[in-house]
Amino acid sequence: MTRLLVADDSETVLLMLQRRLEMEGYEVITATDGFEALERLKEAGKKKPDVILLDAMMPKKSGQEVLEELRGSGSKIPVLMISAHLDAQEPERMRSLGANDCIPKPFEWDDLIEKIEELAANGR
Amino acid sequence: MSFNPSLTARLRIGFLVLFALLLVVSLLGVGRLFQIRVNYENDLTRYFQLELQTERIRSAFILEQAATRPATPHQKPSQTELSQAAANFTDAVGRARQLTGADPVLNARLDQVAASEAIWRTHVAAPLLAGRVPPPRVERRLTSTVTTDNDGLANATRATRDDARGNARSDTRDTTILVAAGLAGALLAALVLFSGLINSMRAPLGRLVEGARKLAGGDLQTRVQVGGPVEIATLGQAFNEMANALERDARERDRVEQMKDDFVLTVSHELRTPVTVVKGFAEMLTAQRRSLSARQLEAAEVIAESAGQLQKMINDLLDLARSDAGKLRIEPKPTSVRSIAQRVGRQMRPHFAEKSQRFTVSVEKELPEVEADPDRISQVLANLLTNANKYSPEGAQVRLAASRVGDEVEFAVTDNGPGLGDEELDHVFDRFWRAESGETQSVGGTGLGLAIAKSLVELHGGAISATSAPGEGATFRFVLPIAKDGRPARKAPKRRTRAGATG
Repeated sequence: MTRLLVADDSETVLLMLQRRLEMEGYEVITATDGFEALERLKEAGKKKPDVILLDAMMPKKSGQEVLEELRGSGSKIPVLMISAHLDAQEPERMRSLGANDCIPKPFEWDDLIEKIEELAANGR
Repeated sequence: MSFNPSLTARLRIGFLVLFALLLVVSLLGVGRLFQIRVNYENDLTRYFQLELQTERIRSAFILEQAATRPATPHQKPSQTELSQAAANFTDAVGRARQLTGADPVLNARLDQVAASEAIWRTHVAAPLLAGRVPPPRVERRLTSTVTTDNDGLANATRATRDDARGNARSDTRDTTILVAAGLAGALLAALVLFSGLINSMRAPLGRLVEGARKLAGGDLQTRVQVGGPVEIATLGQAFNEMANALERDARERDRVEQMKDDFVLTVSHELRTPVTVVKGFAEMLTAQRRSLSARQLEAAEVIAESAGQLQKMINDLLDLARSDAGKLRIEPKPTSVRSIAQRVGRQMRPHFAEKSQRFTVSVEKELPEVEADPDRISQVLANLLTNANKYSPEGAQVRLAASRVGDEVEFAVTDNGPGLGDEELDHVFDRFWRAESGETQSVGGTGLGLAIAKSLVELHGGAISATSAPGEGATFRFVLPIAKDGRPARKAPKRRTRAGATG
């Protein structure tokens, strides 16, 4: 079963993502900020997630910072950044920081699933 | 504080000085002319009287001669007559002396006459009265000397009179010239005064004109240096106050505008999260159709659809707010027209199928790439096609076409729907404007699609337009520039490339 770590500061969004992704058949670990996301990763131990979904803008520790820390520690888990910025340069910037893909907020559900599947397949 | 009289004070002073100068010059000139005239008339009178006295001297001397030499031989010289004639002579000489005044020439002449008459009386009259006849040569010489001297006096008098006339004439001329020069000088002084006044106004007025132009040109920080006569200085102050007020207002307006932009951006942004959640959960429910009743499913579908509309509206508002705030950015790159058309076509086809409309896409062969942000241009085309889809009846035809026009590529979306009148065409790109024909009352949408399309096309450096007539469908066209360093059209015929380059 594909395991996902999803981090978003909005609890309702997080819950919605969790329920829908679970319905799609994923195993979902959630975090409401960057610190929590890193903690959950540590807790997971050997059962590391196959794909990490990070909201770029979060309080305390942003998705961007989590991404930098992950890549800094040598982790190669595929990361899908979710960004509310409509800025045209945003995807390029996220990739340069080590993100594997980027999806703008709001997104169509099917687009999200498509990207997750793609990253999960490449990671294997 | 320096002396800075007002314009009116300056003018008043100028006129007063001019008036005073003119008055002084004219009075002096006229006075002098009058004086010359009076003097000349006095001289003339004096010289005429002097001539009269000269003639009296002449006649007295003739009487003296007659008294000493009677007309008939038997008459004797009369002492009484001689005395009387001599008294007349002396009287005439005395009067003449009063008239000659200090004139040395005339006095000398007069003295000479008196002296030669005294000599005549001693050497001619006295011997004759005593009965002795003087030698005729002596008598003749002495008598003619008196007459000659008297003639000299008369001539000198006439000459002096002529001189006086000449002097008066030249004095008059000189005075006239002096007066004219004085008047000219006064006018010149006035001219200098007034031109000084005008010059003192010119620089501050020039600054005001320049300032007003700059202000009109939008430079609200323009202020003028206050100076010149009081009125102009006041005008300068008033100008600066006006500029202050304008700048204050502009600042305030910018601030309010900024607040509005920020507000719309923030609100749209904050709205997105809950709407995403509503839509997400509603979609999740609709995906579980087997575990829901028909009514629950219907409700879930309506919620999902409405949330989708709401999301679209919020995105549109956000785009417009960004566009207003200058934050709407595009990332143009060489983009294939065909790929955009296919992408949008794929996205729109289900909607046309739903209304049994015939949708065709025709992209000219060998089109070069355009300089465009593919996502944004897809959005523009989707907006145009959505309108065509919504506003055209079932079974209508909608066509998306792309072709080359000069150095640009033209996109055209044509439908054979109800069309738009001229009045409507004027407003079709306005925000929140929606066509109001009965047929389209039910059509949803925010009325922002075309406004966003216009913003986006213009951001690309293109232009969008609409042509239509009621009952004859509508065509929306926009052009995009051909990418400069994009891949040239595949197998581009040389003829066309050359035409493009020279045309």
